[in-house]
Amino acid sequence: MGKVRLRTRLVRYRWLFVLLLPGLAYFAIFRYAPMYGVTIAFQDYLPFLGFSGSPWVGWKHFENLFSSPDFPRVLTNTLILALLNAVFVFPAPIVVALLLNELRLSVLKRAIQSAIYIPHFLSWTIVAALTYLLFALDTGPITQLMNGLFNARFDFLADPDWFRPLVIAQTLWKSVGWGTIIYLAALAGVDPNLYEAARIDGANRWRQMWHVTLPTIRSTIVVMAILLAGNLLDTGFEQIYLLTNSLNRSVAEVFDTYVYFLGITQGAYSYSTAVGLFKAVVGIILIYGVNWLARRFHHTGLF
Amino acid sequence: MKPFKNLSAVFTTLALTLPLALVSCGEDEKTDAADLATLTIMAPLLSGDAAAPAVDGEMHKAVEALSGKKLEITWVPNSNYGDRMNVTLASDKLPEVMVVQGKLPAFVQSAQAGAFWDLTGKLDAYPNLKAENKQVELNSSINGQVFGVYRRRDPMRAAVLVRKDWLTKLGLSMPETVDDLYKVAKAFTENDPDGNGKKDTYGLIVPKWPGVYATASPYDVIETWFGAPNGWGERNGKLVPGFDTPEFLEANRFVKKMITEGLVNPDFATLDSAKWDTPFFTGKGGIIIDVSSRGGVQLRLFKEKDPANYGSFVDMTGNLTGPDGKKHSYPTVGYNGFLAISKQSVPTETELKDVLTVLNKLSSKEGQILLNNGFEGKNFTVQEGYALGKSATDPAIKTVTNDVMSFAQIGTATNGYLAYIALPAGQAEKEQYEKRVKFHKADEASAVPNPAQAIVSKTQVAKGAQLDQIIADARIKFLAGQIDEAGLKAEIQRWYSQGGQQIVDEMNEQYAKIKK
Repeated sequence: MGKVRLRTRLVRYRWLFVLLLPGLAYFAIFRYAPMYGVTIAFQDYLPFLGFSGSPWVGWKHFENLFSSPDFPRVLTNTLILALLNAVFVFPAPIVVALLLNELRLSVLKRAIQSAIYIPHFLSWTIVAALTYLLFALDTGPITQLMNGLFNARFDFLADPDWFRPLVIAQTLWKSVGWGTIIYLAALAGVDPNLYEAARIDGANRWRQMWHVTLPTIRSTIVVMAILLAGNLLDTGFEQIYLLTNSLNRSVAEVFDTYVYFLGITQGAYSYSTAVGLFKAVVGIILIYGVNWLARRFHHTGLF
Repeated sequence: MKPFKNLSAVFTTLALTLPLALVSCGEDEKTDAADLATLTIMAPLLSGDAAAPAVDGEMHKAVEALSGKKLEITWVPNSNYGDRMNVTLASDKLPEVMVVQGKLPAFVQSAQAGAFWDLTGKLDAYPNLKAENKQVELNSSINGQVFGVYRRRDPMRAAVLVRKDWLTKLGLSMPETVDDLYKVAKAFTENDPDGNGKKDTYGLIVPKWPGVYATASPYDVIETWFGAPNGWGERNGKLVPGFDTPEFLEANRFVKKMITEGLVNPDFATLDSAKWDTPFFTGKGGIIIDVSSRGGVQLRLFKEKDPANYGSFVDMTGNLTGPDGKKHSYPTVGYNGFLAISKQSVPTETELKDVLTVLNKLSSKEGQILLNNGFEGKNFTVQEGYALGKSATDPAIKTVTNDVMSFAQIGTATNGYLAYIALPAGQAEKEQYEKRVKFHKADEASAVPNPAQAIVSKTQVAKGAQLDQIIADARIKFLAGQIDEAGLKAEIQRWYSQGGQQIVDEMNEQYAKIKK
């Protein structure tokens, strides 16, 4: 039965299927075909021997990874940064969007919006250069300010304790403004009648936000949370790499930099692919996990 | 849902077969590479902003005429040459001749799998490819197997740059020993060498060193001065890593003392090495330990600021005498990569001979002058044995000068450097150049070679970068005071336990074979 229906459908909607083809081809060629390369995680891959000629070694690289002394450290660093991202960076655009939403003067609102979008367009290299300039030992303006305030000698760039706060501060500075766009769009869709009704019932601004604004943008927040879960372990290669030095490497090495170091610098193609694959699998589990949680408590997941 | 299941099956098959098809494409290219009339080369492009040499350009034509071949050269920007090389190695379509910039793991693995010709013993038949220095040829080899014609570089380059005006002001002379280095650095820090009444200067300038252990950082050089091995050393007939010697510790105690007393820039762990010149030039710090060509860079900087007295700011000397009263000089490896010949693109011995004959011609005196200087009378003239570049206002001359910079990369000078050296731009440059030649020559006698330079161990290839990072980080942490000496020793033990012991064993095994 399925076959017959497929054929009639194909005939009836043939032009729609033709329109679909470029998209499918894109995913097949640029997304799915390269996944074939993942097989080198199970080989001792040598470029000269190629995919077909390199010997198969099964789970060897994964066993090496899990037994490697680097693994706990890299995993811990990645998870801590991911957690900090979830706790500090994820809610920040929501808060800023709510604050902007309360602004009455639209000129001011627009000016602030434009100003906080700008960092999004700067590359991490520039952000890193600015950070080095502002936080330089003894000479950076922020370092001097802090040294004066606390009468101490801060070494932001080399002290491992300052690495994570710096990374989070950089991410906040760069991404918060841009992140507000989607929430502001959601906020624009809130029915003004609801506010009016709430006001008549005697709700102050705080109550209006709590009982009207937040519930209406809740689904947006949930979708954003699920999307975030998939990228949680993507701590960002450039950002971390540019801030790393010998003194803070113990807290700075994350999966992204580790894969680069092993794969590009050291030419351990198979091992680094195994590490990357492990990270991707964790990402998938996180997406499904958060989606399940969302469905459980909120009755609407992403899929 | 059902139709999509079928569709997805189709695409899964597609997805799986497509790359197979792509991979198998590359495999039957062997026949057209047999074309003896052309030679394909991959080389780094170093001319900066200028375009790659044109195929119909004067230089390209002249090199073709000299070699008797049509040349197809792929010029790859130097900044991503390493990445591009890894990709090319993976592509299954190698050029006949490839400039390999060092024994990168991917190259070592390919070479050992048989991707390149083993040239051991083959080069001596070609007078211009016969190694001027057999030690350097061995250094460039992989466990004694020569996989390329090495590109010769000066065997000694280490130098100490000091602010000459500061020395004069404080009545000091150039350091000759490591004790002098300490004294000069101390005076530069405490005695107000710039005369502004403030204590705002320091002695030694050390940048962040992104590499691993034994990569010619100031730390590595100072360790060698103290008598530590250069990378690896022989102790009691066995190879030991340089960082597991008492001299290594002694040297780092010395550097740590300097850092603790504020004689070194406080941001030594984070200072960008591209900004190494700035503190010296702007008068914040007064000593740099690096290669001697940095002296020329500093002269140029000062010349822009003070064209009349620029010579009075920079003084330079070679390696310093260690605390044992002896001089242990830090040499270079003597080569900068090599030209490797692909077995896939050059399948027979006859063709190999043909390719080597071309490389032999390029390394003759005539070939070296063409590749390194250009055309005499056109873009340079010879003056007192030096090459004097003609002014670059004429675009044709400018093109030749730019092209020369690129073509110099395929020159090897394995038989010794026979081309002209550029004429120093002024009196100060000339004095500096002559001084530099003199102290390099003198230092060669006390050079501390790395006996393990030729040895590549399996574990080193697989894990070396990771392991050496432990040492490089531990050293900086010790110097910064994050860990104490016990902590440093513990990190060295960690190196051993995580695979270092295996490396030591493999190195010694290979070393015994090579020494025979």
